[in-house]
Amino acid sequence: MTTPAPAGVGPAALLSVRDLTVTFGRGAHAVSAVDAVSFDIVAGETLGLVGESGCGKSTTGRALMRIVTPTAGTVELDGVDITHQRGRALRRTRTRMQMIFQDPISSLNPRRRVRDIVAEPLDCWRQMRGPERDAFIDDLLLKVGIDPLTHGDRYPRSFSGGQCQRISIARSLAMRPQLLICDEMVSALDVSVQAQILNLLEDLKAQYGLTLLFIAHDLAVVKNVSDRVAVMYLGRLCEIGPSTTLYESPAHPYTTYLLGAALEADPTSRARPDVLEGEPPSPLNPPSGCRFRTRCPRASDRCASETPALREVAPGHRVACHFPLVRVVDDGA
Amino acid sequence: MSATPERTTSATTAPVASEPVLLSVRDLTTTFATNAGPLRAVDGVSFDLGREEVLGVVGESGSGKTVLSRTIMGLLARSRVTVSGSVRLDGVEIVGASENAMRQLWSTRVAMVFQDPMTSLNPVMRVGHQIDEVLRVRLGLSRTAARARSLELLSLVGIPSPAERYRAYPGQLSGGMRQRVVIAIALAGAPALLLADEPTTGLDVTIQAQILNLLDDLTARLHMSVVLVTHDLGVVATRTSRIMVMYAGRVVESGPTADVFADHRMPYTRALLECSPRVSNAPHTRLAAIPGRPPNLAALPAGCSFAPRCAYATERCHREVPALVETTTPGHQYACWNPLPARGGPRP
Ligand SMILES: Nc1ncnc2c1ncn2[C@@H]1O[C@H](COP(=O)(O)OP(=O)(O)OP(=O)(O)O)[C@@H](O)[C@H]1O
Ligand SMILES: Nc1ncnc2c1ncn2[C@@H]1O[C@H](COP(=O)(O)OP(=O)(O)O)[C@@H](O)[C@H]1O
Ligand code: SF4
Ligand code: SF4
Ligand SMILES: [Mg+2]
Ligand SMILES: [Mg+2]
Repeated sequence: MTTPAPAGVGPAALLSVRDLTVTFGRGAHAVSAVDAVSFDIVAGETLGLVGESGCGKSTTGRALMRIVTPTAGTVELDGVDITHQRGRALRRTRTRMQMIFQDPISSLNPRRRVRDIVAEPLDCWRQMRGPERDAFIDDLLLKVGIDPLTHGDRYPRSFSGGQCQRISIARSLAMRPQLLICDEMVSALDVSVQAQILNLLEDLKAQYGLTLLFIAHDLAVVKNVSDRVAVMYLGRLCEIGPSTTLYESPAHPYTTYLLGAALEADPTSRARPDVLEGEPPSPLNPPSGCRFRTRCPRASDRCASETPALREVAPGHRVACHFPLVRVVDDGA
Repeated sequence: MSATPERTTSATTAPVASEPVLLSVRDLTTTFATNAGPLRAVDGVSFDLGREEVLGVVGESGSGKTVLSRTIMGLLARSRVTVSGSVRLDGVEIVGASENAMRQLWSTRVAMVFQDPMTSLNPVMRVGHQIDEVLRVRLGLSRTAARARSLELLSLVGIPSPAERYRAYPGQLSGGMRQRVVIAIALAGAPALLLADEPTTGLDVTIQAQILNLLDDLTARLHMSVVLVTHDLGVVATRTSRIMVMYAGRVVESGPTADVFADHRMPYTRALLECSPRVSNAPHTRLAAIPGRPPNLAALPAGCSFAPRCAYATERCHREVPALVETTTPGHQYACWNPLPARGGPRP
């Protein structure tokens, strides 16, 4: 471990990520998708992960699941280094961490019945058989709001997007995981169905004592479910802190713009936020020093020469910026 | 607002620029013949759009927003589709107009921006040439004049180094840049009416803010009227003067934006607002989810289409379709048998 554990986070971290780095390709074609990202997730909490398209949110999630291999850094689950696990140990770890994806329909095997899709991980590990297994699966389906009697033997194509997402959730819970990584799990759903799935997720989280990494680009959705939020930009972590603190007084210039652009369904809200001009640079050739400096109005020479480290500005609120925004907490100015 | 349809069956009237209303839609109904029977994707929609006005059309997926836009644009295939009612643009009737007559209007009178820029761009043609083509075919510009104008349009929509981007293929551009190109194409003929169908859906919030600001600026600068179609209430909240809420092909509530947000009368409007997560919510705020999901238009329930999901539904709701009725606020209408009380106390 090169970075010390974040202050304000006790020993109860279920997941500890240190300097996680994922680089795709080599040499001139190397894409720096995730660069030295460190964070903890405490058992029972939801950490939201936000940032613009391509900033490395999914790659982070996939690296934790070892769907992609980290180039550097360590990942510890419950104090055990899982970064280099292979074979049976890795498969065992994967039952304790599950991932749910955006596209609910294509992430389910179209040729299998719903009941068997949900039971797949159980069958794979031969954990339960016969009536015990069937009862367990029926119960899981009921918990996610799918009637096992009328719908258990159907195929995914006869379900709507929201129902498929319910089935994905049931499957992910079959092995009783500790950590769920939700990657844009409600992004493709209509707002009325999205609310149902988010409520369901909150209920199941409480019921199963789950810990969540909730990846999404929708800032309102993330605020609604997360205890803490982490912001990424071009592969790096900019800021991490308690949701309310981060949304009310962001300290990183990028976070300010990102949150400023979020639209509230309220005609009295600010019509024209300060807009961040341009687009993120290519991860093939990221800027030196602070990766946000090419768009940052506060950038100075130091930002080009020195990579800002993640520093604490308030308890549990950490920022990677040489010149973080001054937080005015008391006088309401 | 009178809903008396002014029925005209052919393109007869010449544009009357002095009229305050640019677009007048009456009782517009679009029906697809499907294997499951007739599917009424747009059902009796009426509205007026003033000059330089921005109207928001909101609704969940499948509520008929895209079909409405394509019907107004005259873009639907002619087989297996029946359109009735009236759409008059500058007094010219569009319903029943020939494709040739529509071509006269496309780009110079009315243009459309589609949700997915990739589907409206040709992937194997340089983006500059795609803009040139519109300018040459629709406006009759020469090759050189078209190129010069294309470059102007690319910079008008905020594309940096237009000369370089002119030569790019759509696949070489980011989603935000592609949407700017699509907007450039739509603006090529300086249309009076822009139909923007989910122009920012799928884009990052930062890029969405850029594109919405761009549309704002262009609307003012080019004196356009805009129909802004979206499923996102946040998009219409501050960018429109009026909104129309659609459910299952029908307008269920419409009126001045501020009024519809603050004093909605139709339960679906309220449900839609309340189930949307807010940035201002505290973590773990329970959302007021709407049970069930939007109906299948090929098998609509009798009566109010929202009845199976509505907490206020009574027996009548399952039998009779409620008509739009006026509130005391001018232009604010709703369709509901059991409306919410007017300004029923402060809403969260
Ligand atoms: N297998 C891969 N090979 C090469 N580059 C990749 C690969 N997977 C991802 N990338 C690149 O890594 C970067 C991060 O991608 P990632 O999918 O993690 O972003 P994201 O934050 O999840 O974006 P989105 O919001 O669009 O889902 C991007 O530049 C992407 O193009
Ligand atoms: N060409 C078509 N043939 C049959 N049904 C269609 C066709 N186009 C759209 N529909 C149906 O019309 C309804 C409204 O669709 P659409 O306007 O695309 O909704 P929205 O844009 O509000 O999401 C949907 O039920 C859709 O399946
Ligand atoms: S380190 Fe410099 S460039 Fe980076 S966000 Fe802070 S001020 Fe801006
Ligand atoms: S008409 Fe009846 S079912 Fe429809 S919204 Fe009103 S109360 Fe609900
Ligand atoms: Mg992703
Ligand atoms: Mg649509």
